[in-house]
Amino acid sequence: MTATAPPAGATAPTAGTAPAPPGTWWLGLLGRSLLVDRRALTAATALAVLVVATVAVSLAVGTAAVPLTRTLPAVVGAGEPRDVLLVQQLRLPRVAAGLAVGAALGVAGVLLQTLARNRLATPDTVGLNDGAAAFAVASVVAVPMSLAPSASALVGSATAAALAVGLAGGAGRRGYRFLVVGLGVGAALGAVTQLVLARAPIDEANRAFPWTIGSLNSRAPTAVAVLAVGLAVALPVAVVLGRQLRLLRLADAVVLGLGQRVGRIRLGVIATAVVAAGLSVATAGPLGLVALLAPEIARKAAGPRVVPVVGAALASALVVLLADLVGRTVAAPVELPAGIVTAVLGGPYLLWLLLTTRTRRMP
Amino acid sequence: MSTLEATRPARAVDPADLATERLDLGYDGTLVVRALDLQLPPGEVTAIVGPNGCGKSTLLGALARVHGPQGGAVLLDGRDLAGLRPRDAARRIGLLPQQAEAPDGLTVRDLVRYGRHPHQGLLRQWSPEDAAAVHRALAAADLLDLADRPLDTLSGGQQQRAWIAMVVAQETAVVLLDEPTSALDLGHQLEVLDLVHDLAAQGRTVVLVLHDLSTACRHADHLVALRDGRVVAEGTPAGVVTAELVRDLYGVEATVLRDPVAGTPVVCPARRAGRRQEPRPHADPGRR
Repeated sequence: MTATAPPAGATAPTAGTAPAPPGTWWLGLLGRSLLVDRRALTAATALAVLVVATVAVSLAVGTAAVPLTRTLPAVVGAGEPRDVLLVQQLRLPRVAAGLAVGAALGVAGVLLQTLARNRLATPDTVGLNDGAAAFAVASVVAVPMSLAPSASALVGSATAAALAVGLAGGAGRRGYRFLVVGLGVGAALGAVTQLVLARAPIDEANRAFPWTIGSLNSRAPTAVAVLAVGLAVALPVAVVLGRQLRLLRLADAVVLGLGQRVGRIRLGVIATAVVAAGLSVATAGPLGLVALLAPEIARKAAGPRVVPVVGAALASALVVLLADLVGRTVAAPVELPAGIVTAVLGGPYLLWLLLTTRTRRMP
Repeated sequence: MSTLEATRPARAVDPADLATERLDLGYDGTLVVRALDLQLPPGEVTAIVGPNGCGKSTLLGALARVHGPQGGAVLLDGRDLAGLRPRDAARRIGLLPQQAEAPDGLTVRDLVRYGRHPHQGLLRQWSPEDAAAVHRALAAADLLDLADRPLDTLSGGQQQRAWIAMVVAQETAVVLLDEPTSALDLGHQLEVLDLVHDLAAQGRTVVLVLHDLSTACRHADHLVALRDGRVVAEGTPAGVVTAELVRDLYGVEATVLRDPVAGTPVVCPARRAGRRQEPRPHADPGRR
């Protein structure tokens, strides 16, 4: 049992350098060091390329197509006025909203799934989206102010999270309980939305309706801007949390034994997911199942060593943009909301997941 | 650091003085451990034994700061463990709890790298010391050949050694292992216990929770017998393990023999105390 000599092929580390573990790049300077997972980086790069390609296609395709060669100049305002109008004025804001909404949902999804150690735990299922939608709808009906939906959606998702965590007695140690309680909280808040819509005068109910299906069509510019600011804060925080969450995939006693402050990280994860989910719902309404689907794609691509926060953000942006693209083109000139497309695509996936989940653990 | 040195198990560590003082532990108002005073001898293997539910695992968790005391204190080198930053505590005390599970697809090396967590930071993610410690831990657990295999492709014994290697890579003066040999066959049990002896030989304080009294007698230098959260007996196995202790702990009549090889006590259970005939094949005197 006591080691004598290393077996052939195994090399012992030598002084000065830190030989990077297989599959990683080591960047070190003045006692500081970073370890980059190669597979995760490759996966994120590939997803980023796909996102860029989808953005280009989304800008070019529509009821009036703009050739790809004229799309890029039109983005910066060069070329024919018609192209500039279509690309820069109409499609670019929509695509930007899709990117931001997607990234936010992906981040919220991967964080919550890892926290609850259950990949069915997403902002849809634990009630964050329903809470945000209920409060956004209520505010639109009651308060005529453009900032109101974002602020109240944030309050709504925070309320849902507080209820789910509080009633479940914690989110991490009791991941499954958190998920089931969250489903209940979501259902109750969904009923609130229905009640508000049913009681509101018809034209106010109409104004609030977009927040109940999930679409990039009727977003408010203020909501997009608020979401962009929120993401600028939430994404870097999520990347740092993602590193800590690698460890939190192990049993609590192991993690505590390694000196990690578990409670603090859980709080950070929930707060970040609340901000990301709330602001994205304020922008586009609840886009169903995106936060379930996208992190799974990212995890498959990035491998078991990491919790792919950036990968999930990119995969999710990709899913939202593709869903919007399909919704705009498949039955043109009739437009299908992106939320319907993601539900149609995500539903079978969810079923497959439920039917094939044997003893598979998260993630 | 030379190649030879790096592959050798870690050199002697700073011995740690771990003790408890009037320690109360419990959940939801029920005390599992009451007013426990314990001194864990440095550089020796201590085994904690006792019936199911006697507070063994709870005590081990408290020694590693996994849960805080309801009263009293755990003292590390004379200072209250609760006053230490979690990271600093984790550099001195390592814990392997029971039923540890890892994410699918994680390799042995990935797992052992987690042991370096208390020595790392956001901007200090991998150092030469980390690389050397992981290598030493893999070598000590005889896992260099399997280092890049996914954990779920290994046997139970190999997986258990990988988990212990994670704690070894933490390079702590105290190593706490909760039932490290349960669910392992005889050969794999001995592999794990040999590793335990190596750790103690380097000056580490090793504390094991064991449910098999004979294994504890054979492999521990120091034995702590718990029942209902109190110490019933404490000392060398040869000194404390008697038929009376076995009856007291487990409610079992037993004959205590001497191991012909090691001279340590061997427990041969006969029947549950108070019963005249042979017990039913699977009668369980415990609480479960």
